[in-house]
Amino acid sequence: MVSTQAQTGVGAQQASLWGVAPYPVLVADEQGRVVLHNDAADVLLPGIRPGTPFADVVPAWLSAAHDALRAAGRTPGPPAGQEPDAPVTGVIGERAFEAHPTPRDDGTVAWWLVDDTDHLLAQRALRMERKRTAFLSEASSTLLSSLNLGRCMDVTAQLAAEHLADAALVIAPTHGRRLPVVTCLRGGTPVLAHESVDPDEVPGLGEALRGFPPVPSRWIDPSTAPVWMVPEGFGTVGSIVITPLPGHGVPAGALVLLRRSGGAAFTESEEVFARLFAARAGAAMSAARLYAEQTSITEVLMRELLPPSLHQISGVDYAGGYRPSADHERVGGDFYDVHPAAVEGEASLVALGDVCGKGLEAAVLTGKIRNTLHALLPLADDHQRMISLLNTALLNSHHTRFVTLVLASAVREGNAVNLRLTSAGHLTPLIVRASGAVEEAETRGTLVGAMPEAPARTTALTLAPGESCVLYTDGITEAEGGPMGGAQFGEERLKRILSECVGMPSESIVERVQMLAAQWVGKGRHDDMAVVVISAPRTHHLSAVNGHTRGRFTA
Amino acid sequence: MSTRTPHRPPAAETVRDTVTESVGGTVGGPVVEQLADELWDAVSVADEYTAVEVVLGALERGVDPESVLLDVIARVQGKVGEEWAADRLSVAQEHAATAINERAVAALSLHPAARTTPTRGRITVACVDGEWHALPARLLAEVLTLRGWQVDYLGAQVPAPHLIAHLHRTDSYAVALSSSIATRLPTAHAAITACQAVGVPVLVGGAAFGPDGRYATLLDADVWAPDARTAADRLALGPLPRPRPDHQQLDDLPHLADQEYTLITRNSASLVRAVFTALQDAFPAMRTYSEVQLERTAEDLAHIVDFLATALYLGDEDLFAGFITWTAQILTARGVPASSLPPTLAVLGRELKDFPRATRILERGAEDLTPVDHSTAESRS
Amino acid sequence: MTMLPPAHLRLTTVDTEDTVRIELDGELDYETADSLLTAVTDLLAARPRLHNLHLHCAGLDNVDSMGLSVLLMIRRRTDQAGVRLHLDDRTTTLERLLTITGSLEYLTTSPTGTANSSPGTGEDPRTSGEAMTARPTGPDSTT
Repeated sequence: MVSTQAQTGVGAQQASLWGVAPYPVLVADEQGRVVLHNDAADVLLPGIRPGTPFADVVPAWLSAAHDALRAAGRTPGPPAGQEPDAPVTGVIGERAFEAHPTPRDDGTVAWWLVDDTDHLLAQRALRMERKRTAFLSEASSTLLSSLNLGRCMDVTAQLAAEHLADAALVIAPTHGRRLPVVTCLRGGTPVLAHESVDPDEVPGLGEALRGFPPVPSRWIDPSTAPVWMVPEGFGTVGSIVITPLPGHGVPAGALVLLRRSGGAAFTESEEVFARLFAARAGAAMSAARLYAEQTSITEVLMRELLPPSLHQISGVDYAGGYRPSADHERVGGDFYDVHPAAVEGEASLVALGDVCGKGLEAAVLTGKIRNTLHALLPLADDHQRMISLLNTALLNSHHTRFVTLVLASAVREGNAVNLRLTSAGHLTPLIVRASGAVEEAETRGTLVGAMPEAPARTTALTLAPGESCVLYTDGITEAEGGPMGGAQFGEERLKRILSECVGMPSESIVERVQMLAAQWVGKGRHDDMAVVVISAPRTHHLSAVNGHTRGRFTA
Repeated sequence: MSTRTPHRPPAAETVRDTVTESVGGTVGGPVVEQLADELWDAVSVADEYTAVEVVLGALERGVDPESVLLDVIARVQGKVGEEWAADRLSVAQEHAATAINERAVAALSLHPAARTTPTRGRITVACVDGEWHALPARLLAEVLTLRGWQVDYLGAQVPAPHLIAHLHRTDSYAVALSSSIATRLPTAHAAITACQAVGVPVLVGGAAFGPDGRYATLLDADVWAPDARTAADRLALGPLPRPRPDHQQLDDLPHLADQEYTLITRNSASLVRAVFTALQDAFPAMRTYSEVQLERTAEDLAHIVDFLATALYLGDEDLFAGFITWTAQILTARGVPASSLPPTLAVLGRELKDFPRATRILERGAEDLTPVDHSTAESRS
Repeated sequence: MTMLPPAHLRLTTVDTEDTVRIELDGELDYETADSLLTAVTDLLAARPRLHNLHLHCAGLDNVDSMGLSVLLMIRRRTDQAGVRLHLDDRTTTLERLLTITGSLEYLTTSPTGTANSSPGTGEDPRTSGEAMTARPTGPDSTT
């Protein structure tokens, strides 16, 4: 504490002590006049002299603090254990200061000024960094959650408009003539448009979309911005910056940020930050684009392998259901097809089979078999011949992957359906009679594709109206589970269920078998499951609804 | 425990739920009532030809296609459920009726009066995995199409990986998920969370979510709709909120931390086995059961355990009590005394005595059962 | 000699002069079948004077289509090597699978030709008497 003696010269030594202190110190009396000051204060506040009014030489915030302190009538010195007076803060010149008051016994107050400019700047920078980090982490988790390009563009535009600009445009590179552009105003929802424009007409945009030559963010003169770049009702554009969206080695697009005139322009640090955001958005959009390209390839290849949807053909009802062994797959080693006769009045050919193996590899083999059978359709009335030719086609010295299948030729005759059935090493088809009896078809043969020959015996039978023939794969009967676990679904249970299905439409029988087998396995593992039901419709009326042949009422 | 009822409980539950659902969204009027009667007459005898004629005839006369879907077809489907519950339709008849209703919907969708061009965004409509009852979702898909949405209808029992792959592939604005069976709710919850995780909001519907949609709220679905009409109205109102990206299943259901659900689900088969064995002493009538009857008993037990697990998952005693009461009614309707239910719950309670939440739920079920035990089929509407 | 493949099939091999017996325990399926084929292929290569290969099947819980495919391949290889294949102690399940797929006779009847005959040269162990409208020959089994 500075002694009152300082005023009288006795304290000159002490005064000289703080006189050379690195912090500016000034003492003002109750009348608001400067009493003392040190060298540092002289440098900071030029023109300061003892006797000058405090308010004339210090900024208003400090003079007000001095007045407030005097008005409060503070007695000198904080009593032991009590906090000293809190400092006040303010700016002097271009720097920020904390002013710590020390009331003295004679009623004067010594003000110690501490320069905390750098501290404040660091704090502000830290706050800004934290905010940006939080934003980038939010952006990353939102962007990474989707593999859909459209949604990634929406999210990018929306986040950019919320945090970086008054409006944002996300533009994707395209091979087509029209440029996909998602626009979002701050507080608005993203809107997709396709613009028939040449990106090279906008400086920096063509390069950003090509990813070559590499460009940093590019400022463009707002007055040269094309009309499509400025969202409707945006007002006058103050500044525009175009930032490339770098992808995984390929350009993912461009981000255009717009600010209104009158608002703050983009600072260099904001532009750097926008680039960090662009890197994340670009990576997400690039991943989404790659995913889309891959899925569209898969989709095309898969289309051939997916089971067809069945319907009524020439007065015979067909329904089929398929469930691959793994939930994430859509194809597997089971397959079925129904080929309508080339000539009306002849039999349609149904094939249901099961190749050995699982997953995509098995599915590819089913594709080969389905194609071969399709090519052999002219021989469809001779099941044995088809099977023998298929056997030859599949035989290969390198492996013994085989298929078991059932061929069925079905033709309507009056209200009944005539069936010829041939099993090539496959589970026997079941016939659901109108009486509720479930019969096994009398056909048996060998598997196809692994042994030199594949003989099989064909059987012929007739379905009366409401009767059905059920073809299925072993995924159904070998399903393990049941209410108490560990039991096989089995043929007996399947037959019992089918005996309760008399008179049900074919699709309901398929659904019921699939449902009960699915409930049987519960969450357990299972093989591919396929069911096809061929039915003689209950009434003589033709179905009006099959989506393919023109029904009576469908215009 | 009944072993003579011809039903399988899951299908049964489905049907009952349809009743609740269709009644909620029905708009009356003499014309549609007349149509519903005509359609019922056709559907109940599996006459597809007449059924399709009724539906297409209505369109020809200018009846609004949406009204035909919701006030005629959905209403008739509701009646199918009622009639099955009252044992006036067999399983085969019920399935046939449902299939013909579905064919009627298909016929309607091809009619020029129902032809629309999409003017709105893309919506994915799907049933939760394990949900085989597709008609409510199908009706919603048709209604949304009529109202100008571009609809991707994925059908019954869609595994979550397929649903998510579809959402990545398409720019769906929202997913509408349907579930009628309460026991599918844990699966539905996983699907809801997965859709939200890829940034797509989820609208849910179907009786599984409770008549007031309470489970939709519990499982943090973005929107719940009691019926197709309300769902379509809500979607027309404006954009759905974007889901929180960080939604975790456990946040919705902190009580799962006690592991009761996990343990009971994981060991459900051995639990059913234990109860099955103990029940043979507690319920002597079982000794006279045939093999098929015994298997049905085991299936019914498994279904009770399934509902118990669901009640544990949701932390909701009412769900289990409601199921037990309803089971008793179904048995009674078939002239089967529900006297096997109390001993079953008691045996189950003994097996699960170390599971406090399960014990409470079972006690609640037993309490609610007592008055119903003596009621008869006539007491129900 | 005991081999322990990673999956759920255990093979125990018992050697005598001109006969090898492999006991199969567990599942012969998609995941395990290859280990049996490898074991048999190595065996045939290592023992040119072998006459009989016995696969003891009593311990097999389950044979799926991949398992059957491997049995068919083993048959092809043993035929080429002039070794007689015996599937001993077949379980009911295995018997049923072989019956349904029509492969029982092929896998359990000795080739009629000489020891070195290839499977494509017309030996036909099946007795089913149906008419054969086409009699394709198998490809040359030289691998």
